[in-house]
Amino acid sequence: MTPRKDLLNISSLTDEEIHTLLESAGPMKELFTKSVKKVPALKGKSVLTLFYEPSTRTRSSFELAAERLSADVTNFTVSTSSVVKGESVQDTIATLQSMKVDYVIVRHHNSGLPNVIARHTTASVVNAGDGAHAHPSQALLDSFTIKEVFPDVRGRRVLIVGDILHSRVARSTSILMKRLGMEVAYLGPGSLVPRTEHSGIPRFSDFNEAFNWKPDVVYLLRVQKERQDAPFFPSAREYHKIYGVTEERLKRISDEGLYIMHPGPVNRGVEICDLAMDYERCLINQQVENGIACRMSILYHLTPQTQH
Amino acid sequence: MNTSLLIRNAQTVDEKRIDVFVKDGVIVQIGEVGSLSSTAEVEIDASGMVLLPGLFDVHAHLCQPGGEDKERISTATAAALHGGITGLMAMPDTAPVMDNAAQITTFMEICRTDAQVEVIPSGCLTKGSEGEEQASYDSLRAKGVRFITDGDRAPDNMLLLYRAMQYASNLNLTFALRGDVPALTAKATMHPGTTSYYLGLTGAPACAEEIGMEAIIRLSAETGNALHVQTVSTSGSVDILRRCKSESASLSAEVALHHLIFTHEDVGRYDTNYKTVPPLRDRADVDALIDAVNDGVIDCIVSDHTPCTAFSKLQDFITAPQGMIGLDTYLPAIYHYLVSTGKMSWATVVRACSESPRRLMGLAPIDLADGQPANFVLFNPAAQTEVTPQSLRSRASNTPFLGKTLKGKVELVAFGDKVCLF
Repeated sequence: MTPRKDLLNISSLTDEEIHTLLESAGPMKELFTKSVKKVPALKGKSVLTLFYEPSTRTRSSFELAAERLSADVTNFTVSTSSVVKGESVQDTIATLQSMKVDYVIVRHHNSGLPNVIARHTTASVVNAGDGAHAHPSQALLDSFTIKEVFPDVRGRRVLIVGDILHSRVARSTSILMKRLGMEVAYLGPGSLVPRTEHSGIPRFSDFNEAFNWKPDVVYLLRVQKERQDAPFFPSAREYHKIYGVTEERLKRISDEGLYIMHPGPVNRGVEICDLAMDYERCLINQQVENGIACRMSILYHLTPQTQH
Repeated sequence: MNTSLLIRNAQTVDEKRIDVFVKDGVIVQIGEVGSLSSTAEVEIDASGMVLLPGLFDVHAHLCQPGGEDKERISTATAAALHGGITGLMAMPDTAPVMDNAAQITTFMEICRTDAQVEVIPSGCLTKGSEGEEQASYDSLRAKGVRFITDGDRAPDNMLLLYRAMQYASNLNLTFALRGDVPALTAKATMHPGTTSYYLGLTGAPACAEEIGMEAIIRLSAETGNALHVQTVSTSGSVDILRRCKSESASLSAEVALHHLIFTHEDVGRYDTNYKTVPPLRDRADVDALIDAVNDGVIDCIVSDHTPCTAFSKLQDFITAPQGMIGLDTYLPAIYHYLVSTGKMSWATVVRACSESPRRLMGLAPIDLADGQPANFVLFNPAAQTEVTPQSLRSRASNTPFLGKTLKGKVELVAFGDKVCLF
């Protein structure tokens, strides 16, 4: 395997790399059951988190992953830094480059921005979510979680529900699932689901049609209520009624033994009813735990080109 | 440069072989091969080369004054000559914009000393190009302006445009506008399709251009004001033009050369050199646009030369400015992608890149005949054009051709008493 500097998206990974990243997340996760949850793999290395979008969950997950590999972690706080004074990304990166960090974990609202950062630094760049483009660590943790419940994931069906249009999670996770032999379909309002001829993924117009497709996993996406321009759907109430996991739909999900997943944070009463959060086959908390293991695996396998 | 020039055995567009003798910027004599006995300071064996009239580009951003970090009149016009172009119309989006006579005077003053080709100014549709108040059309016209445009900014306020067209209908000006519904394309950075889906970028739907185009054509027909539709990019737009052009003599249209070559898939992994407005479309659109140039539904091919600084194009795709430069590579790219592939004849190139744009500018077609001023290009299909930062005369280098080699080469441009050998 040639050393990989950056993880920007799933598509650029080889099958071998995908296999390796998922395989080593297992031993990483076992570490969490020990009283000392730390290995010295990245001792003396520095990890910098650069989040242009607010995020507590992903950021904490990466921080814990880095710390459990014994790396030193620094937050570059965008909201109080030179960025708000209008500094360009290139100039911010030049600064980071001079600080000789080894890993940069970046999140940004513009699709493709981590590619720019990766070009301008010798540090390993991990895309922690860019616009509607990619969220590769989320994709890895999702597939890792499905592999835990289905040792052979080939032919398993995943129904992704919600705002696909703005979702980097949907794009990355569906690419990886398909690479691993799973089948993926989309369900959501017409205004939020890209056309099949663009995405290559079939789309359903309602839950009944989707249930008849016999999914194994119902993967719910967070619905962004806070959009500035023209609304994509009339109300959270109507959304919940048509595309949410209501108590009636939970009954069917439970009867058929389907799993529920969600990348978080959850909007209770919109994507999902309260009862579904306590459903025994709801994998949301498992996803969070696996997120740290997968991110450890990512950091462990990347090779910065920092000169020492 | 006052000199004499003898070109032997050049091929004309209608496939005749001729010798041309030029002295002091005038074609002294054109004759059959071997019929000219004169000697000249510069003699060229043009066997296998094509002699074309000088090309004219009615859509170029020259950036000066105000954007000298991107481009200057001297460098843009040198790039034009390099691409076989001897005349161009400058977009009014300088800083400040060309919305008044004084600004045009300033611009033309720089052109007088710096420009290497003929430059015709255009004037703004609205003051400051802000889309709110009409600019002073009559004083712009008095300064030689033919086209009124807000550049790449498509009109948003239909009432303002309606009244501006009514007002200008007595002034013999052409409004050059792009079809768009800005609300539908506000966040768009490329064409909607598989590539935009995977890149997570918002697409500009083809219908936005088509609805906008239909609207401006209707306003033009209603008011009787001449309309030139800029940078048509979709097959649906071609259909609209085909339908409307038969009914209106004062409707013309242009296509940017890059829309005849590239598709949205060329954006690849966020290559900002392929970010354009309107965006690069599908292969079916490209084919429809080429057909439309061939059958005259689209009058002219333009460069839409849009220089950007290297730094600005290194930013992420959403933040980076749109546009590519196109003057330096104009004729080689036309040959490489359209003529050498059999998609377009030299006769069509002459019509779409010289005769029609000149007609729109009120200029007579170039007559390559005894006693006429020299205004022609000698193009060598057998040679190659290597595109490197050093080979580009433009100050900018934001072109997808950078690092590539195009078939054919502009060997010589004679424009008045200027003879440029490349």
